[in-house]
Amino acid sequence: MIEQQDPTWKELQQEFIKGVENAIQQVNERDVENIPGAREALLQRLNNMRIHFPNNNGAIFLKSIDDKIQNAFFPNTKDFTEAFQKILKSRTHEQDFIINELLNGFVTSKAKAIAMDTQGPIIDRMVEAFSKRNDFHIVDHQFFAMFGDPNKPRHYIQKQLEELVNLFGLISKELVIEKDRRRSEKKVYTFYTFPPAILKILEEKYLIIDDELGYAYVSEAFDRNIFICMFLANIAVNRDDLEKIGGSYSINGISAIFALILILGFMPKITIDETNPILRDPSFDNQNMSVIPKSWMLKQVLEPLFGPLIKIIAYRIGGGLWLSKIIDSEINKKIHTQIRFLLRDVNKWILGNLCRVEIPIFVEIANIFTEITVGTDTE
Amino acid sequence: MVREKWTDILPRYMTFISHMRPILRETRRIILNLDPDLLLDIEVLDKIRQEEEKRNIRKVRALSEFSAMYRTNVYEIIKDFIVKYREDIPIIDIKDYIVEFLYESIDALTVLQNITNPDQRNLEETYLYQLVKFIELTIFSRGSSIQIIYDKLLENSVNYYECQRHLLMPHTYYREKLENPDFFVIPGVSPKVYQIINNITSLYNLDPNFGEFPEKENYEIPMVLKNEIFSPYIDSIANPEEEAIESIAERIGLRILDGIFLSPQQEAVDIFLKNNFFRESKQSDGTIRLIPQFSNETLILYYLAFASMRRGFLSKELINWISMNFAFLIYMGILKWKLTDENIFYSIFKDLQTNEKVLPYLMKLACFPNYLGLDKMKIRDSPQYRKEIFNFIGSQIDNLKDFINEIAIYCKKIEKERKNK
Repeated sequence: MIEQQDPTWKELQQEFIKGVENAIQQVNERDVENIPGAREALLQRLNNMRIHFPNNNGAIFLKSIDDKIQNAFFPNTKDFTEAFQKILKSRTHEQDFIINELLNGFVTSKAKAIAMDTQGPIIDRMVEAFSKRNDFHIVDHQFFAMFGDPNKPRHYIQKQLEELVNLFGLISKELVIEKDRRRSEKKVYTFYTFPPAILKILEEKYLIIDDELGYAYVSEAFDRNIFICMFLANIAVNRDDLEKIGGSYSINGISAIFALILILGFMPKITIDETNPILRDPSFDNQNMSVIPKSWMLKQVLEPLFGPLIKIIAYRIGGGLWLSKIIDSEINKKIHTQIRFLLRDVNKWILGNLCRVEIPIFVEIANIFTEITVGTDTE
Repeated sequence: MVREKWTDILPRYMTFISHMRPILRETRRIILNLDPDLLLDIEVLDKIRQEEEKRNIRKVRALSEFSAMYRTNVYEIIKDFIVKYREDIPIIDIKDYIVEFLYESIDALTVLQNITNPDQRNLEETYLYQLVKFIELTIFSRGSSIQIIYDKLLENSVNYYECQRHLLMPHTYYREKLENPDFFVIPGVSPKVYQIINNITSLYNLDPNFGEFPEKENYEIPMVLKNEIFSPYIDSIANPEEEAIESIAERIGLRILDGIFLSPQQEAVDIFLKNNFFRESKQSDGTIRLIPQFSNETLILYYLAFASMRRGFLSKELINWISMNFAFLIYMGILKWKLTDENIFYSIFKDLQTNEKVLPYLMKLACFPNYLGLDKMKIRDSPQYRKEIFNFIGSQIDNLKDFINEIAIYCKKIEKERKNK
């Protein structure tokens, strides 16, 4: 009831509908499809969005974001362990891949000062670092060896290291050596590991504790998504404390990534002729992939949808505080274009057509859309 | 600089392996002769190791240090294994397991030691030659033209595209120059260049312009605007790539036309047409338009084929990376073949300290003209650099693990063929 009177929410929805209308116009003006019926399917889907999205106070958004995205990636709790556990439980292999590709790009750019020249799989290296030891800790000099630029002084990355540790919610312990062997000087080593409550959860599947030898090994299942889950749990729990989650940079990035996931969920599948060579291409998995209209990858179509959707995500997840941090500048639009390009990493071009890998979150969002549209039609 | 000959490098490769094998054989003998009940007392093993160390008569310090480290590791692993399972498994079985694991490890070292021979006699029958050729065919094929190489790579990309892509992307890309004063030098693909190649693929598939095909009348080829590729980048973060676009384009079969368009070269057009990445479409005015229908691997495989064709001109980083991956795949393939997954000594073989004693020389051996034919003089010898590139080899790529399994199967095949002769 209260939300029905919320003028901001209403305004955001109107802005999105305007974006949809704009996108419809763009699709009408140019035809880049080579599969018969693809353009019509997209137009129909966009028209349905225009008609059904404003219904029931934006029920499709509320269900998709508040229920699905929030449950899977930003549990509504103040307890870090509970949030981590919930996010971890929503994992599936395919979903891991997609979410990971999107977030990895974001986290990597966040940690750019450490990862030398803004590039490089920083999370993979963290996984390696933990896997190489038998006490489930990593030590600061390991970090320096991994990410330090030999041409720059060490203190240069110390601060960045702290930032990275905060980003994932790791904890640190110090070990003081009164006299080190090489120089007979006092030396302080800082070890990093996961908080005890998280370690307990990891023990179920990801961590093997050998009480006899006092070792802690990571299992085969331990991978980069553990860090992604930590990162998301940290944002979910501290969503009201901008400083703890990396300020407006994080908010803009996260909102943009989930706006993309939402858009991917909304896009229609195309029925392709059985003689189409895509079906014979060895990299196309008929069970798990679907061809989507390529027009929506066009800058002119995606841009009017993307901007308003980022604001909607920000508002639903972080309320007015997050919304106020969404920057509407030209530079941000360029950043959005960069995020748009991430799509190619999570989808595949096969013989000129963009193929979506179906993962639970896309399917769930698509189902909400179908459910509500069919429901309204029946009424 | 002294040119390193085959007969210089092979002995160096053998040195450390020939020290590892006796240690394992000696340990196996000791364990075999030991009463199983004595194994329950961990201190016995410590004493045996100390005694063994006293027998060390090697004069070269590096070798005696390595041997001591290696022996300590072997004994520590055995001790850990006993402590871990002594409550659950009868000690006699534990002893059998250890002996079995040692047998396997010695077997693996025997193959590594006999991977080739000093005079390269019957070179086609050596493990080194056959394995290099097998891996080469799959991920770095040879051929007399780019077209032939491209076809071979594409055929194998169904199963091993990720390995092929991995081979092009050195971890030490930050040392690379996109453009070299020597125009011919080909660097690896950095993450940003990879992203740019992906952008180009998308722009071709989405909404390209079309223009005259300079070499073929009545044909139109697709073109994308150079500026459009770089428009998402802010704060000049892709300036070096933008400046080097001509060189990057050449490596993926494209060229700059009219100063602003990126369009396919003639040779690439033929390759893409043959592989269904271009489709011909007749226009109302009679011209034939080539419509792009690229897949993710279309341009990347061209880069790889181009690098393979011009392998004499690869950058230092790329040569180090490619040869290191070949050495790693050969090494891991042999281990996979000889060692069972639960072998407790796997960790020693995969240890950085062992890797850096074996792989650098294997890298150089694999580079000789009869094998990969890369310039081995560009392989760096600095320990720091080795650490940099060895630290993350083979990590996190499932496709690489699949390929290692395939290599292990191929090793078995070689062995079977040898026995049948």
